[in-house]
Amino acid sequence: MKWHAAFKGQRMILICSLAVLVFFGVALLAPWIAPHNPVKVDLLQKLKGPSMDHWLGTDHLGRDQLSRLIYGARISLGFAAMIFVSSLLIGIVVGAVAGYVGGWVDSILMRLCEGIMAFPNLVLVLGIVGIFGPGLMQVLLALMMVQWVYYARICRNMVVSLKERNFIAAARISGSSTWSIIRRHIIPNVQRPIVVIGTLEMGWAIMDISALSFLGLGIQPPNAEWGAMIHEGTSYIRSHPELMIYPGLLILIVVMVFNILGEALSDKYGIAKR
Amino acid sequence: MLQVNNVSHSYGRRSWLSRSGTSPRVLTDISLEIGEGCCLGLLGTSGAGKSTLGKIILGLERPARGQVIFQGHDLYNTDRTTLRKLRRDLQVVFQDCYSAVNPLMTAAQIIGEPLGNYERLSPAEQQHRIGELLEQVGLTAEDGSKHPHQFSGGQLQRVNIARAIALKPRMIVLDESVSSLDMVNQSHILNLLAELQSVHQLSYLFITHDIRAALTLCDRMVVMDQGKIVHEADTGESILESEHPAVRQLAAAVLPEHPSRRIAWDRLDETEQQSADEYSSFGRK
Repeated sequence: MKWHAAFKGQRMILICSLAVLVFFGVALLAPWIAPHNPVKVDLLQKLKGPSMDHWLGTDHLGRDQLSRLIYGARISLGFAAMIFVSSLLIGIVVGAVAGYVGGWVDSILMRLCEGIMAFPNLVLVLGIVGIFGPGLMQVLLALMMVQWVYYARICRNMVVSLKERNFIAAARISGSSTWSIIRRHIIPNVQRPIVVIGTLEMGWAIMDISALSFLGLGIQPPNAEWGAMIHEGTSYIRSHPELMIYPGLLILIVVMVFNILGEALSDKYGIAKR
Repeated sequence: MLQVNNVSHSYGRRSWLSRSGTSPRVLTDISLEIGEGCCLGLLGTSGAGKSTLGKIILGLERPARGQVIFQGHDLYNTDRTTLRKLRRDLQVVFQDCYSAVNPLMTAAQIIGEPLGNYERLSPAEQQHRIGELLEQVGLTAEDGSKHPHQFSGGQLQRVNIARAIALKPRMIVLDESVSSLDMVNQSHILNLLAELQSVHQLSYLFITHDIRAALTLCDRMVVMDQGKIVHEADTGESILESEHPAVRQLAAAVLPEHPSRRIAWDRLDETEQQSADEYSSFGRK
């Protein structure tokens, strides 16, 4: 209980935000930070232990493990952020329009969301990737297409309850157009909870990307990505388990940081989790 | 100035999956008229349909039948540009002042919204106008930078009034505008409203369940009960003579200055007295 309490509050938000900044900083600055070329094969150096030259050792093709992890952060975090931002934008706009306009527009959009939600995410993503073929862009598109529905539904429900508030009626009477009401009154009022929920979803997006890469559907070799690295390490699970442990640990830490941050933010703003 | 002709309305549940046929009538055949510079009191217990009528008059909810004619135009049967012009002259002050403002905006932004929609002012001019409006309603120009949660209920209601008069409208619908305030603030706001009315030649539609508040401001009153107009009084005082049970209940619900004496209290039977009691305590929470 005490342990859990320590992970709440302002300090936790600060620590997690800093950690997130560090992750993104490392991802952005990868070419300058990484000591080696992440895709350069050096078979003479394969499966080496930690040394001054290769701090975390090398993999089965003699590639520097640390550099691969650093470059992998670009893919995992970068694409998770892209999925986050794009599905958030689609979700907010669709949710706001559905909630505000109501009627048959609302019915159609929400039935569409329910249709997408009826399938397990992974099945849907596998289906989309199956149609368009494996590759990072396809995975990105697929995840985006399934993630926005959650934002849309949350946003729509919040808008419906906001619409009952009198300031929306007052804005209409003051002569504001529908679009300017959505922009000025609705979106600012749903923003905060949606961003909190988005932070929690960000952890899921990273897991999804890694899972799909692990299955060989995301990033294609020789590029580095944490899920793909775990996959490559499976052949050496007995002799060199660290090849799987490093990227696995990183995924764990990053997802945990996002989850704790999301929890702390939602506690702070008093937002119910879904 | 404003005419309501034979308006009937009901809230039907309609969606593309289910289409239920019958729905409860909220308003039945309502007609009323408000002249230039007049204040019409619209009284009734909760559920009588007054707020729905208010919404219809404000152009927010299309009535199932009937017309609302404002300045010679039918609100629900006119083109966009005319409607936009009409909207400008027809403003509102709601009961719950906290829900009537966007919690994320400052008072200046709240009051600036109608100005921004209708008048092209430079930022400096706009700020000046907002300052003037705030002073007109008894606040200071510095209050413009405050957020809603920093105001008291009475102050925030003044901000709402400032927004309503920002465009110099011809008519304001006061939807229970003083009911959520305490007695002292109520009388302040009522005085402010009366003052604004004489300065700006405003017409009011004063929706309330509080006969005493209506008596101080209104020169004509209509009483609604279950969606119908049951009583019309040309002078405020004559309403107390009415024999209609709904009117008597409203009159009796007013708490007197001296607890032993209530207006029209003796004329109720026991159950009516009971429900009037419940009602008067309800309105004051």
